[in-house]
Amino acid sequence: MEYKVSELMISLMAREIKDGDKVLQGLYSPMPMLACLLAKNFHAPNMTYFNTADVVDPNPTEVPFSTAGPKLQENCIAYLPLAEVFDLAQKGELSLIFLGAAQVDMYGNTNLSVIGDYHNPKVRLPGGAASAYLCGFMETVIWIPKHNPKVFVEKVPFITGQGYINGWDTRERLGIGRGGPRKVITNLCVMDFEPKTKRMRLVSVHPGVTVEDVVNNTGFELIIPEEVPTTAPPTPEEIEFIRNIDPNNVREIEFK
Amino acid sequence: MERKLTTLQEAIKNLVNDGDKLALGGVGRNRCPMDAVREIIRQGKKNLHLIGREKGIDFDMLIGAGCVSKVSFALVSLEEFGLAPNFRRFAQEGKIELDEHACGSIINSIRASAMGIPCIPVKGFIGSDVLRHSKTIKEFICPFTGEKLVLVKALNPDVAIIHAHKADEYGNVQLLGSPWEDIYMAKAAKRVIVTVEEIIPHEEIKENPHLTAIPYFYVSAVVHTPRGAYPTSCDSYYNYDDDNIKEYAQLARTPEGFQEYLKKYVFQSC
Repeated sequence: MEYKVSELMISLMAREIKDGDKVLQGLYSPMPMLACLLAKNFHAPNMTYFNTADVVDPNPTEVPFSTAGPKLQENCIAYLPLAEVFDLAQKGELSLIFLGAAQVDMYGNTNLSVIGDYHNPKVRLPGGAASAYLCGFMETVIWIPKHNPKVFVEKVPFITGQGYINGWDTRERLGIGRGGPRKVITNLCVMDFEPKTKRMRLVSVHPGVTVEDVVNNTGFELIIPEEVPTTAPPTPEEIEFIRNIDPNNVREIEFK
Repeated sequence: MERKLTTLQEAIKNLVNDGDKLALGGVGRNRCPMDAVREIIRQGKKNLHLIGREKGIDFDMLIGAGCVSKVSFALVSLEEFGLAPNFRRFAQEGKIELDEHACGSIINSIRASAMGIPCIPVKGFIGSDVLRHSKTIKEFICPFTGEKLVLVKALNPDVAIIHAHKADEYGNVQLLGSPWEDIYMAKAAKRVIVTVEEIIPHEEIKENPHLTAIPYFYVSAVVHTPRGAYPTSCDSYYNYDDDNIKEYAQLARTPEGFQEYLKKYVFQSC
């Protein structure tokens, strides 16, 4: 079955959610929103789904453009302010959050604050939302809809969201051993972090994408294993589900 | 109980002063107190210090209109319509001071303000450059566990403005949708303006006390502003108007275009 890369990315993000997980989706997070709904309606019926509409386990008939929008309250079972989802996170009971970034470096550090000098920026970016807070103690999955060398840089000029900082055991030495980025899911491939050096490593390339494509679009040296499999595509049932709850193509807004 | 029903003009004139720390309710393009934002711009308030978590057109308009000198925020963005143009321009030109947070610090700063404590410990931030540059978030060691944490300063807003669904004339407020930080803001600020879709009889409040999110004694003024969150959404009442926000995003790319938007949607409609 033909599918769009957004549908593949949604399916990949959904697969990061295990049954029973408690997962938070943030603002301007269209693909994570669809991934959470997909997981909950398929392989993870017992996950708890929190989001920026401040509701628990919504199941809308149609997803909104704003991922905090009123439509995302539909069929929910409770309102819960984000403050209290964060309390859960601090208690170690939140499993995962999906976070975006303007730039990501080889150790999974993300920048959403500035390009150029912090106090005299060339570009003032929007700010990292939950990043500087949750990346300090939570497991995260980073999603990047446009994989290119401007996004994947050797070293971010400003660490908004903590990855593995300088790699190796930097997090442990800073006293933030828990958490860190688990995966990076892009329009070209899936990546994770090599356990010892904490350098970003290629896991799989999407159908139709070569290892060379990924290398050429990454501004640092990725760890490339000897065998790089092709990413498993979304199932026809998954694709049908996504199209059914997203008739307005909310999933495409990050690709424009 | 004192009657607190007033006009928007009076509420903004009497309760928002130049230089105030001002917290605004809502998130992104949802349930932001936009009628109040437009009135603040019309009255030409100056040197406001805005406080909010993930904000969009509300903060950007106030910044562009020259009402703001400082912003405490976790994110200011127009989401898929792009970077917030005035926020970006004023920050790049050094015309506003930024107090950059993450959601977890700004929310807990508002909570600490509501609790009457000067600061509050939170997790995270260690290893982030946000912490390195912050004057309101500082590293500290828990004296009980030895754990490395940060303390977030209570920002103590002078005024909070919230757009809610229903209230009576005394300021008993029903919040019938996503709560966000609105209730904490009302409890944190010295003065609280609540704009509402509907004014309801006091008896209706007493029949449904479980719906009272903010009781009267927190509230300074109640203003009846139907569609007062427009062009942002208001739960089951109305959705956001993305055409208007898109028009804003396009016009506000230049200072001239921004003035055109203000002329059309802020100064014409008064």
